[in-house]
Amino acid sequence: MSFSMLRLVCLSFLLVFNVSSVNAGSDNVSSLQPLANQSLVLDMVKAGQTSIAVGERGHLFVYQDGWQQQASPTSAHLTKATLFNESLGWAVGHDATILHTKDAGLTWQLQMSSPEIEKPFMDLLLFNEKQGIAIGAYGLFYRTEDGGVTWESEFHSELLFEEDKAYLEELRAEDEALYLSESSTLLPHFNRVVQLDDKRLLMVGELGLAAVSQDFGRTWQRLEFPYEGSLFNILVSHHGIYVMGLRGHLFKSVGGFDDWQEVEMPVQSTLNGGIVLNKDVLRLVGNAGVVVDIKQDDSVKMVTQRQGENLVTILVTSDGKQWVAGTKGFIELEQE
Amino acid sequence: MLDKIVNGLESFLFRQRAFVIFAFVLVTLFLGFQASNLKMDAAFVKNIPLNHSYMQTYLKHQKQFGGANSIMVAVEDTSGNIFNANFFDTLKQVHDQLFFIPGVDRAQVKSLYSPSTRFTEVVEDGFAGGPVIPANFSTTPEGLETVRSNIEKAGIVGRLIAEDYSAAMVTAQLMDFDPQTGEPLDTLAFAAQLEQELRGQYEDEQIKVHIIGFAKMAGDVAEGAKGVVMFFLIAILVTAVMVYLFSKSIKLTLFPLACSLVAVVWQLGLLTVVGFGLDPMSILIPFLVFAIGVSHSVQMINAVRRRVGEGETTKAAAALAFRSLLVPGGIALLSDTVGFMTLLAIDIGIIRELAISASLGVAVIILTNLILLPLLISYTNVKALPANANNNIDKIWLKLSYFATPKYAAVVLVATIALYSVGLQQANKMKIGDLQGGAPALHFDSRYNQDTFYITENFSITTDVMTIIVEAFPEACTYHDVLTQIGEFEWQVANTHGVESTASLASIAKRVNAGFNEGNPKWQVLPRTTASLVQAVGQIPTTSGLLNGDCSVMPVYLFLTDHKAETIELVIDEVKTLSAQMNNDKLTFKLASGPVGVMAATNEAVAEAQLPMMLYVYGAVFVLCLISFRSLRATVAVILPLYVVSTLAQALMTQLDIGLAVSTLPVIALGVGIGVDYGIYILSTMAVKLRDGMPVQQAYHQALVERGSAVIFTGLTLAIGVSTWFFSALKFQMDMGILLTFMFLVNMLGAIIILPAIGAVFWRNPR
Repeated sequence: MSFSMLRLVCLSFLLVFNVSSVNAGSDNVSSLQPLANQSLVLDMVKAGQTSIAVGERGHLFVYQDGWQQQASPTSAHLTKATLFNESLGWAVGHDATILHTKDAGLTWQLQMSSPEIEKPFMDLLLFNEKQGIAIGAYGLFYRTEDGGVTWESEFHSELLFEEDKAYLEELRAEDEALYLSESSTLLPHFNRVVQLDDKRLLMVGELGLAAVSQDFGRTWQRLEFPYEGSLFNILVSHHGIYVMGLRGHLFKSVGGFDDWQEVEMPVQSTLNGGIVLNKDVLRLVGNAGVVVDIKQDDSVKMVTQRQGENLVTILVTSDGKQWVAGTKGFIELEQE
Repeated sequence: MLDKIVNGLESFLFRQRAFVIFAFVLVTLFLGFQASNLKMDAAFVKNIPLNHSYMQTYLKHQKQFGGANSIMVAVEDTSGNIFNANFFDTLKQVHDQLFFIPGVDRAQVKSLYSPSTRFTEVVEDGFAGGPVIPANFSTTPEGLETVRSNIEKAGIVGRLIAEDYSAAMVTAQLMDFDPQTGEPLDTLAFAAQLEQELRGQYEDEQIKVHIIGFAKMAGDVAEGAKGVVMFFLIAILVTAVMVYLFSKSIKLTLFPLACSLVAVVWQLGLLTVVGFGLDPMSILIPFLVFAIGVSHSVQMINAVRRRVGEGETTKAAAALAFRSLLVPGGIALLSDTVGFMTLLAIDIGIIRELAISASLGVAVIILTNLILLPLLISYTNVKALPANANNNIDKIWLKLSYFATPKYAAVVLVATIALYSVGLQQANKMKIGDLQGGAPALHFDSRYNQDTFYITENFSITTDVMTIIVEAFPEACTYHDVLTQIGEFEWQVANTHGVESTASLASIAKRVNAGFNEGNPKWQVLPRTTASLVQAVGQIPTTSGLLNGDCSVMPVYLFLTDHKAETIELVIDEVKTLSAQMNNDKLTFKLASGPVGVMAATNEAVAEAQLPMMLYVYGAVFVLCLISFRSLRATVAVILPLYVVSTLAQALMTQLDIGLAVSTLPVIALGVGIGVDYGIYILSTMAVKLRDGMPVQQAYHQALVERGSAVIFTGLTLAIGVSTWFFSALKFQMDMGILLTFMFLVNMLGAIIILPAIGAVFWRNPR
């Protein structure tokens, strides 16, 4: 059992080093259902007039007087959406799925789907219309140079821990197959990557991972970070860069990347997402239904705590409505 | 030939009358003793169509996923907030008390106070947790505050705590056997203990105790069925008054009542002999037996008295009455029996039991009221009624006879057709199944149903559960594609109108997997990696009811908005479509278990049985009429009014929101089977006169003079017997009471109004 499993893992690992490009003819599609808007929604994003959202079972939504479910070429759990501009967008998720839209989310094509890797994508970042990267669990890292027509894998060994690096070096000499299988799980989860104004990339992830790249993600430098738990999201505001993570941990960097200050939160709920509400205020959402406002002076105000649901994402749509979403789907937040 | 037998019987019985009566006494003593051993029997399986495919699934997996025999006790604080010392003390006492009631599976008692009620939270290095009520708990404000925050972490709001924190739940599973005695658990005694030791002891101004569960419901139904004794006494009293008004003689009142009661004793005794118990539904039968017995007795008294009026001695008159009534009375009773027997065609235990016990009861009446009664009467001295007593009644008969004239007949027939078409429209809207919420056996406003509504409103718990059983292969739950398929099925059904929420191993395993990944909703998936999948599924115990020991069987639970027939039908249709698409050699999605699964099967069985049952009943009645009248016209004249009345009865069901259910299905068969008697009485007299060339109106008038009072009296007696059920604590008894009262009264009216009108058309030109 374990031997054949191992072989399977190796085989799949070898496969993914080849270029993965999948046609959209898969029959694994998700159907339009009335409950989709009330089921797990994992990301909402906006560019200009376009707002789109993604969720479990491959659910895709476009905002047109409310969230409208769109036909989807996948049933994979979609974790993140990205809009490059008002019409070009991507969505990523489990089974190493990447979807692409050219018409503001109305129709979607499958660019990649590799269930055999057994890893999810967590984020995708486009530097321009052609070049970009997709990141995910266990150091999953793919790059495209052609707008997502082909995706190629990269292995960022520089983000391994020192002891793991030594171990892997040893393995590579002895047993190539085992080396491949081990290296596919030793990297931490990459949860979120953003491009800063100075073109540098900042990426956060599991085990207190925070890393910067000066060269569009080809090489990374790990940052000293004052926390060893998981980090899930990054929010860039006028007055600093915020990194949020497990159990209500929120860190803020005003100057450089070597000075992170913790912002005290009133609850120990994992923070999943946030928006810059206005010049002075950030609004964050998290597990246990937490919606919380952070002011520039680090004062924190609990806006609401919705019982029995986890909130993952928040967005203000072009009509000015404020939405939060999570385990119970889209919820319009009443504005004071 | 027949005459010879009747003559032989008559001379034998009347010559040996003392001996025959003595034999009756002996048999009555024996059956009375048997009847005293009769037990209340409300077995669940009798109420369901066991051969229905859903029920086969249900029975196959009942042991593993039964779990239906649970009890829920909601302890409510009337102030709306449970966080006070008094409430927590009471809750602990209720928990302990329930724990110690024999028959409760102690390992399964769950509340805030059970050690298995724990909270878990994700921390940097894994999970942290502890009991929701810590070991050092005290009811201080700080202690209560700790418990409150633990409750929120534990995710038990809606299950063990009301959504608005105004009540807490204690749940328990019942065992099939009492562990102390090894005997099967006495459900009714257990229910009584719940009532006394929980509600009786702890309910006060501040605390309210709500109890639901099958055992409690069975207890409440049995409690409600006890009221029947009272109704029976009332029925006897009212009937006695009626018989007295009819006979003007105490003796002639007591004999019919006594003979009819003997019939009831025999019927109950025979139940024990054939091995049946008394069911809340078949309690109906003694009422019917009594009423039918009395009505036949009245015919007998009537006949005896007429002979006495003609100058015979009482003994000779009794013998003549016996001779003249044995055949028509016997045929009428036989046709009742055949009517009941048709119910045997329905594959629901309790309806078959009803058919058998009703047939027995009616057959017994032939002996007690057609034989014993005239023998008893022959010992007395019956006086003839004064001649003028019939004058007033005769005027009524004369007026009634106009219904057999063309002018009035036309009016009656037009009115009948109009009534029928309106009735048919309504009858077509008749619903199948139970139309109200809560336990259908009990009234909407009964304590039990109010408790049910309280609990379903304040907790995220519903009793309207349908379970789809997924049958797979051993260790199936460790395969990603298996669970994905189940998850997809669950999602599709969840999107069906009428389904409020769902649960399955697939959806719970997803959540567990998110839990293993730091509670991150982005990991709320079925992991592709077998090791991770096993880890997630491994956290879910078989006691959750989501899988069996080797996870070859995994139910999908559907929580419905209600258990109305159309809701059930919609969901069943969707499940059938989906399972047709999704079933393969590895997985089959099987209908259905859970309370609503049972209802679905019952609804389908009832709906399917309705048409054949009607065909059988009408077929039987048709054949019997054809045999006794040897005339198609006469047969049609008897059956048409019956048919109109059964249609009207169905319309009444629509109007009163009474659904076609196990309890109401036999009503129409009973109503038709008994209702046909009226027509047979009237027409058998009429037919003779018509054959002699008498015009219709005159023939009908003669029939009324001879049989009219007996027919009307029979209708009233039968109606009174069952109308007392209107006050029953049990909803289905009330429904049956209303419908039978309607059937008996209106069939009687049909026989004296519609039948002559049809006759006026059929026999326009006297032969």
